[in-house]
Amino acid sequence: MSEPRNVLLLVGSPRCERSNSYAIGKFIVHKLEEKGLSFEEAFATRLVNTQKGTERLLKSVDNADIIVLATPLYIDSFPSPTIKALELIHEHRKAVSPTKTQLLVAIMNNGSPEKEHMDIALKIIRNFAQESNFKWGGGIRVGWGYALNSEPLNEKKGRTRKLTRGLSLASVNLAEGQPISEEAEDLASTLFAPLFLAKIIIRLVVNPGWNKQAKENNAKAKMRDMPYELKT
Amino acid sequence: MKTVIFNGAKEGDLIMNAIENTIADQLTAKGWEIEPIELRNMQIAACVGCLGCWLKTPGTCVINDDGRETTRKAIQSDLMVWLTPVTFGGYSSELKKAIDRMLPSMLPYFGSYHGQIYHKMRYKKFPNLLVIGVQEPGVDYEETFMALAGRNQLNFRLPAYAASVFQRDKNPETIPAFVEQQLKKVEVIS
Repeated sequence: MSEPRNVLLLVGSPRCERSNSYAIGKFIVHKLEEKGLSFEEAFATRLVNTQKGTERLLKSVDNADIIVLATPLYIDSFPSPTIKALELIHEHRKAVSPTKTQLLVAIMNNGSPEKEHMDIALKIIRNFAQESNFKWGGGIRVGWGYALNSEPLNEKKGRTRKLTRGLSLASVNLAEGQPISEEAEDLASTLFAPLFLAKIIIRLVVNPGWNKQAKENNAKAKMRDMPYELKT
Repeated sequence: MKTVIFNGAKEGDLIMNAIENTIADQLTAKGWEIEPIELRNMQIAACVGCLGCWLKTPGTCVINDDGRETTRKAIQSDLMVWLTPVTFGGYSSELKKAIDRMLPSMLPYFGSYHGQIYHKMRYKKFPNLLVIGVQEPGVDYEETFMALAGRNQLNFRLPAYAASVFQRDKNPETIPAFVEQQLKKVEVIS
């Protein structure tokens, strides 16, 4: 593959700019921008339901040398607008063969701390890459996405140090037109805290935190409501 | 006993429609109540990830469209059937739209299940699940597809589930036997 010039950040989260997917994706494309690549952003949710949006999405994909798909995991797979984007891109590439080698990188994040929840989604996106004539550029699985708070990633913060180091390493590979190294994949996919500690924090801090958030909406007393329970 | 069938096929998919009709026929013959839902004809917006169904209107999606009804029907059924073209080893966007909108059936709280962290379930009972994918010739994503259904079983804590792939180029006359075999797997017919 010749030296890449254009990167497309395809955001799969319906939360768009307010998402962890965007924060993570933005970090890596900024690293690529520092290395002289130009980048474009596209949000699946905003594009897949209209003809004009679809045309824009497909044009952006055609133009890119590297596509970074940054997406959350929704119920074991990708959110429906992300799948729709993949379906549209695949149909387009069946009709119009790509004229250059293009790398596809997937960066996923998930609410649970274990990255293994994303293994099936990773297989799905690899299948897509193969079936749609992309060169596989690697996959990163970020566990415990809630802990990122959708904030821009900070290289100095303990919570995001491994992730940002891994993404920075990945950007070096990608800028050379190479798939992400195993070292970069592993580092970026490593949880910032040991799993046993994450589980304790979830029990003591995260779970009570949901009640606090519900209280702000006057919904705490209804948290366990079962509106669709059949009355017998 | 109630079955709700979510058909995530595109318009005019004869094989998927034949599978849907066969499931309906075989279960009706056993006295089941069937509700087929052609998802492409429903008004279901994509989940926006706002978590309002956990934190604002617990148990109910804040989007007032057919997505609320599909979730209600799923929770109130004894068997839920998902039909989909195998899409890179996963589900079609049409089916996934309805599945994503089932988030209100979960609670925000995390708990440990089978050694991993999952969201806890809102309801004590969730239906059994049968997932059938129709796969195009020339690809083999059966393993991924089955594994995805297996993870769904863990995520929704389903009492029983079965998943299988039907090859699109297979003789349609084999559909009744195929469906019968799948319904046996999910223990709804003996």
